[in-house]
Amino acid sequence: MRHRPSCIRSYHPYKHESNSSPFNPTEEAVLAASLRHVPTHGFTNASLSLGAREVGYLDITVNLFPRGVFDLVNYHLVTKRLALKKLLDIQAAKDDGGALTGLGIGARVRFLTLERLMANRPIIHRWQEALAIMAQPSYVPASIAELARLSDEIWFLAGDTSVDSSWYTKRASLSMIYSSTELFMTQDKSKAFAGTQKFLDRRFEDVRVVGRGISNIGNYLDYTAHSFINVLRSKGAKI
Amino acid sequence: MALSAVIRRFPAPSIVWSQRKCRWVSTAAESRLETVANSPKVPLRREDRDFLDSALRVNQAGELAATLIYKAQMPLLSRAHPHLRPLMKHMYDQEAGHFSTFNSLLARHRVRPTALYPVWRLAATVLGWSTGMMGREAAMACTEAVETEIGDHYNGQVRLLLKMIGEMEARGEEVSEEIRHLVDTVRRIRDEELEQ
Repeated sequence: MRHRPSCIRSYHPYKHESNSSPFNPTEEAVLAASLRHVPTHGFTNASLSLGAREVGYLDITVNLFPRGVFDLVNYHLVTKRLALKKLLDIQAAKDDGGALTGLGIGARVRFLTLERLMANRPIIHRWQEALAIMAQPSYVPASIAELARLSDEIWFLAGDTSVDSSWYTKRASLSMIYSSTELFMTQDKSKAFAGTQKFLDRRFEDVRVVGRGISNIGNYLDYTAHSFINVLRSKGAKI
Repeated sequence: MALSAVIRRFPAPSIVWSQRKCRWVSTAAESRLETVANSPKVPLRREDRDFLDSALRVNQAGELAATLIYKAQMPLLSRAHPHLRPLMKHMYDQEAGHFSTFNSLLARHRVRPTALYPVWRLAATVLGWSTGMMGREAAMACTEAVETEIGDHYNGQVRLLLKMIGEMEARGEEVSEEIRHLVDTVRRIRDEELEQ
């Protein structure tokens, strides 16, 4: 009989990500507890210490986090990004298909972006601190990478299958829309963040208008070039 | 009935009843399926996944270039040599098929496409156009050179993929069906490229 293989290596990484967290159990426990203290104590070492104490570790456990408070911000970003997939699964499991049935890709992107923004609600009054932490030069690359991962996740979950240069433009534009809307949200005092929703819709509309304009220009230039070549061909030029 | 119980009762059965499939299957196949089915499914190691991603990305870029070369050459050559039209159309259809295969693989495995996409598009169109203008011999020489180069590239890739799979099996890990299918796909595409 064949010996039993130790494991089966599969090329579908995203199928496993939902089950495995990128944080080890200790980090997970401390950071989850610390995040609960953020609304009262902000993104500070105080929250980290309180979280460590709550889970039963010594205060010194925060030395587990070489990047200090940025690790707490990163934990929030990563968990909220991974929660988008769970949200989709919950919607899909509903009897009527959930909130996403019958929506096109654009509408799905809007839904997911809004959901991700609303996931900031509990700590939005502390988010400007987090943005300041993320803007520190040593943490800027990691923050931008996380934003790019979020943008990729939203487009992927919305069902985008493009694999040409629009892959890049879509993700870049969504990253800009998301970050500007998040910044707006930190000072939005309207009821149920209605102002943020309208801001988001205006940003999507901007991208649509600019996109339409660029594709119109592209079509025009394309048409002109082809007409020119065809005229020359009709005159007998071998091109 | 469990497979082990069957084997105890009947010393060397060649077929057993598979409860999962509700039919008779060969003992060897069923035992392999049972042992494989019980192993945990894990993702590829980082370096293996990066290698596969990069391989698929390069292949997509190559097929994009090949498709655009033919697309640029076709109007010029088929006007100058109408009898070549069916051959060119066959070659173009083949390349277009390969291109869509790699596009769907990239979308499925969530691999980012090449960042220099517009550069390859422009370069391939210019190459196809200029060789088409230079005449039939130049166009055929271009095709010949491109196909040989691509054939060697796919050959090397298949070799590296099989080496990777061999290393994984030496470590006692099993490779999932989709990776084997990927190797078969690359082999098939290499054969189609080399036949031209």
